[in-house]
Amino acid sequence: MFLALREIRHAKLRYSLIGLIMVLISLLVLFVTGLANGLASDNASAIQNMNADYLVLQKDSDNQISKSELDEKQLLQAKEVAGDDNTEDLGVRMSTVEKIDTDKKVDVTFFAVDPNGFLSPSLIEGKSISKTGKDEVIADAALKQEGLKIGSEIKDQASGKTFMIKGFTEGVSFSHTPVVYVNFNAWKDLQKSIGQEQSSVTAIALKGTDKTIKAVEKEMKGVNVLTTKEALQGIPGYSQEQSSLMMMIVFLFLISAIVLAVFFYVITLQKINQFGVLKAIGAKTSYLSANIVSQVAVLTIVSLIISISITYGLSQIMPDSMPFVLTPEVIAICSLLFIIVSLGGAALSLYRVAKVDAIDAIGRAV
Amino acid sequence: MGYKLELENISKVYGDGDSSIKVLDSVSLKVATGELVAIVGPSGSGKSTFLSIAGALLSPTEGRIIIADKEINKLSEKKLNKVRMENIGFIFQSANLIPYLTVKEQLLLISKLAGRQTREDEEKAAVLLKRLGLAHRADQYPEHLSGGEKQRVAIARAWMNNPEIILADEPTASLDSERGRMVVKMIAEEVKLSQKAAIMVTHDKRMLDLCDRVISIEDGQLTELAKEA
Ligand SMILES: Nc1ncnc2c1ncn2[C@@H]1O[C@H](COP(=O)(O)OP(=O)(O)O)[C@@H](O)[C@H]1O
Ligand SMILES: [Mg+2]
Repeated sequence: MFLALREIRHAKLRYSLIGLIMVLISLLVLFVTGLANGLASDNASAIQNMNADYLVLQKDSDNQISKSELDEKQLLQAKEVAGDDNTEDLGVRMSTVEKIDTDKKVDVTFFAVDPNGFLSPSLIEGKSISKTGKDEVIADAALKQEGLKIGSEIKDQASGKTFMIKGFTEGVSFSHTPVVYVNFNAWKDLQKSIGQEQSSVTAIALKGTDKTIKAVEKEMKGVNVLTTKEALQGIPGYSQEQSSLMMMIVFLFLISAIVLAVFFYVITLQKINQFGVLKAIGAKTSYLSANIVSQVAVLTIVSLIISISITYGLSQIMPDSMPFVLTPEVIAICSLLFIIVSLGGAALSLYRVAKVDAIDAIGRAV
Repeated sequence: MGYKLELENISKVYGDGDSSIKVLDSVSLKVATGELVAIVGPSGSGKSTFLSIAGALLSPTEGRIIIADKEINKLSEKKLNKVRMENIGFIFQSANLIPYLTVKEQLLLISKLAGRQTREDEEKAAVLLKRLGLAHRADQYPEHLSGGEKQRVAIARAWMNNPEIILADEPTASLDSERGRMVVKMIAEEVKLSQKAAIMVTHDKRMLDLCDRVISIEDGQLTELAKEA
């Protein structure tokens, strides 16, 4: 630590430049990660944050929620196997609604849930919907940006039915559209209007242990049981978006690993002579290595603190419409990875230092 | 007895097979307490090699090395490191100071490396710097020092661990003769004052009168030269 800090203090410009590069790289990593998370939640927060562990989908649905359809018999069977308290029916229908009295259209996704069940959304405003009323909805707060308020009416294009907004919830979206919650009476009307079996639903949400799930899988025919995480992949566009962003993040980490390794290596090469002197006056390889590692660690941590603050500042001034989500956990994971990557980059230099011989410090004729 | 350093029948062969060269051929040297020994010889004659072996930086092909009454040939690398740290002070051709440490820190680093850092070390550094006329330079970086000052810092650094032996490889090569003489004088005085020993490789004939003995090295052999009066 002694040498590491003295050296940074003495060569401020050089180390600030390295720090700057590290800040920029880690900023990019954090930013793209935030964007990936933001897009994920903008796309699918209704499933991500769903208060359930598993979703039962139709076997022939390709694990895609929007293609799944379960009939009444399967619903009853699921309740029987997993228990009434652990199961909840779910209807999902992507649609377009019109704000009444205007021509403005908004894409939404209807979620049919039992207003008293565990899928019922938590309200941030207004009242919940009843179990029987056919024309009440709870809407995602994103619809407020379209000028909708409590009491506003929306008309579903496909069925021609009109609903009144009773309350607002937040952070629920499906395939980049805000979710609108209805009860199953309304769901039946929606189904009827497009000629679908009234009693069928899209999926069954389950809570429970591995054991219940195994039982469901064994007893029920023609279904797939997915964790909610797995079900995300079947949301239109989700896996495509996430995999391209993931690729960018992986490459960013790879690039930072290479850039940092080269940086540290070049710096170390420049100092080979010094290391020889230090060894001659008694420094052990372990002491010198510890100094290199702590120097890299100090640089990385300071750079990370700066880039995290910048990221935080940017996220404050970003427009709401820009999907950007960075939780402390994700920041912690990214930072940890970045520290590992930069220490890995320094490993190459350690090898060089280990090879330096004290005798190199003595002037030889060669 | 009374020897700080004994080298017995030391041979050193570089390389192997056809391309091998024998730089030292069964040479012996004893350095007594209080002695400053000069080593002279043409370039490539093996002066640095000899000094490296004496300083336990390089192991000889054959022969025995006794530093402060301890035989060190068979020691592990780790123990050798300890012997070097406790018994030997090196002064290199160019001062080889660490560029990002102040003069005072250069000295304190030595005690840090030995695993201690006490008030005494601070005082010792201050005393050494004062004795070598560097007290006013204590908080400066090497880049602001003249060549002579740097070399004097290197000497102070070499004394920091209170070593039994000082080994200096052409310490005056980068200095003009006046400053060079001053540096050698300081080494000689320290050796006498603290009852230590020193070996100095030098090219400069004008320094030889400051040394107690002069040894010439040529064709792998050591020859003691008679000191001119
Ligand atoms: N590591 C080495 N490998 C092979 N040959 C060496 C090595 N070090 C020194 N030599 C050779 O040993 C001889 C003595 O070198 P050196 O001790 O540096 O001489 P001096 O210091 O007297 O100029 C030279 O011929 C040099 O080429
Ligand atoms: Mg030499």
